[in-house]
Amino acid sequence: MGILLSLFWLFLKVNLLSTSGIASVGLLHQEAVGKLLTEEQFVQAVSFSSVLPGSEAEKFAMFIGLRVDGVAGALVSLLGASLPPTILMLGVFTVLRRLRRETWLTRFVKGLIPAVSVLMVYVAYGLLTGGKNPFNWQMMAVAALSLVAFIYDVPPPIVLIAAGVVGIFFFK
Amino acid sequence: MKTSGMDIQQSSDKLPPGFGIWIELFWIFFKTNLFTSSGPASVGFLYRDVVDHLMTEAEFVEAVGFSNFLPGSEALKLAMFIGFDAGGYPGTVAALLGAILPPTASMLVVMLVLQKFQNASWMQGFIHGTVPAVAMLISVAAWKMFRGSDGFQKRTLLIAALSLIAFILGAPTPLVLLGGGLLGILWFR
Repeated sequence: MGILLSLFWLFLKVNLLSTSGIASVGLLHQEAVGKLLTEEQFVQAVSFSSVLPGSEAEKFAMFIGLRVDGVAGALVSLLGASLPPTILMLGVFTVLRRLRRETWLTRFVKGLIPAVSVLMVYVAYGLLTGGKNPFNWQMMAVAALSLVAFIYDVPPPIVLIAAGVVGIFFFK
Repeated sequence: MKTSGMDIQQSSDKLPPGFGIWIELFWIFFKTNLFTSSGPASVGFLYRDVVDHLMTEAEFVEAVGFSNFLPGSEALKLAMFIGFDAGGYPGTVAALLGAILPPTASMLVVMLVLQKFQNASWMQGFIHGTVPAVAMLISVAAWKMFRGSDGFQKRTLLIAALSLIAFILGAPTPLVLLGGGLLGILWFR
């Protein structure tokens, strides 16, 4: 029961403090890695979520929930992840819509965005250089190639699958 | 002789009003979430299915705007907004169900497959190879988000710098993000 509650709270928090699936990975990493899942599982969650169809935030929740506590964990995480946008949207339908964008909530998000962006880069840097993945030329080469691919707007699923295939041959 | 077209017409008359639109909403969001893997990618896809059909372009732009400016998953917010506009509360539920089904099903299948290959050496290599790509994916998404919001204003740069210092000093992440949001409330008037 304790673990279900912490999953629910984790995804509630993560989805209250980010505006999109990919933006939530920073907070997710800081809050979950080392406690609920390993760094490797975190990378798995992000890469599979980027490759598979459907909204990213829901896939993170499903993946991590399933990993940590099976189907019950997945359902509870999905509920936690879906609650903030659902309640906010109901608020939008009833009240906020008349106020348009001049609300404190949108200013909150404007301030949130620079903080979330910095967090994402911070976590990305940690993934590249941290713990289990010592700095080496193979990693840097894959990182550089991926960066170029993203700058040229290659779809993320293709880049991630290609990087994984390179990994099969070069990261033993 | 009745034609089959008339049969369909008659049977759909017995359904509650709006039923057709609920089915349509479910189908649109099911399809969109089946063929795209993230919120932003689905916007272009949705545009073709929705604009001039379920809602006007201005309403669609408003829906996308709200999805970007409120916390929570983009795909769900878009589904709920468009669902509500086109079909009221039942429309919201129909769109939401359509949006949630593809990621749920695909994740369940993948987890079953993963459990089988979890410890295979090629799987370890694959995951290892995606680490740098995932790091770049996150960085590029961060860059686009930062540049796309209010860009390089003094206040956004200041919030970014303060957050970085806080993260390096090991401040609790949710508190730092909350702090950024609160500064936003004060500074973005």
